[in-house]
Amino acid sequence: LSAERAAAKIERLGFDVGYRLCERLAQSKPLGPGLPPPGSAGAAAAGGAVDPAAMQLEAVKFLCKEFWTEVFRKQIDKLQTNHRGVFVLKDHELRWLRRLPPEDETARVAAIKMLAFPCGLIRGALSNLGIAAVVSCDFLADGKNMAACSFNIKIKS
Amino acid sequence: MSKSSASASGHALWSKMPKANAELFALTYGSLVTELIRDYDNADEVNSQLDRIGHSIGVRCVDEFLSKAEVSGINIPPCQTMKDTADVVARIGFRMFLGVSAEVANHAPDGSAFSLFLYDNPLSIFVELPTAEEAAAINGGSGGCDLSKIKYSNVYCGVIRGALEQVNLKVTCRFVKDALRGDEVN
Repeated sequence: LSAERAAAKIERLGFDVGYRLCERLAQSKPLGPGLPPPGSAGAAAAGGAVDPAAMQLEAVKFLCKEFWTEVFRKQIDKLQTNHRGVFVLKDHELRWLRRLPPEDETARVAAIKMLAFPCGLIRGALSNLGIAAVVSCDFLADGKNMAACSFNIKIKS
Repeated sequence: MSKSSASASGHALWSKMPKANAELFALTYGSLVTELIRDYDNADEVNSQLDRIGHSIGVRCVDEFLSKAEVSGINIPPCQTMKDTADVVARIGFRMFLGVSAEVANHAPDGSAFSLFLYDNPLSIFVELPTAEEAAAINGGSGGCDLSKIKYSNVYCGVIRGALEQVNLKVTCRFVKDALRGDEVN
């Protein structure tokens, strides 16, 4: 099984899990007055002037806090956005990468493979909230801390 | 090892383990099974892959189990008979890793076999398996994977087999009853 196909599989696994987990988590947490319920497509009808950018921001914030806490037991460390549909989420210490040997090339490769799952999780969760996006990840390890990574979300417009 | 002290040990070890979200666990396993069904055409292949995965897990579980027990000062006396082994697996092992205890029963007269009953299966909380007729309808007669024959929680069989193999007990383990197929218990 080639590396890309394996990565795609893992990403798809993450997508399914993220989608369904988000459904469960978003049920119990209100996302703000302006948001349509998860899974509904016609957002424009929901109460008039809902600013889609604000809604996206709310969704991503939910992702960084509640969703991330459920999965990784901590929140995202840093969120950046250009307010035009691009978000960067940084996690300085991802649980799943904590035990990797430092400064090891095969560990880097393995980490990138493992990061496909959280990418899928993010994509799935956003999809459940009605947002289509492309998610990629970067491995930010600086030799000593092998567990730092960032996820780039680009919302499809 | 007395039953209540085994349960108490199991509970104590469980409380020391780092936990993950139960729904995440169940959903991830579900996605895994879905991918396997997508990859392999027949149910037996899927079942044996799940068993293989379980085996890898089980092999690692034993070390974790014994080291955690030692660290917490919980004494697990060496098992004299298969019955003891059964008790330890069910009450302490399952409890520690899954949070649910299994019951042991049906020991064979020569002590070479036993049954484990799992009343609460955390892996299958969101799952429904189609019946044989529904599975045939889904396949449309094109000979894909027979979904009703999937042993969804077959990973447990592999885990038990792998774990006991590490302590030099070669066993076979199979599902006799499955709650997902309408029986009362696993």
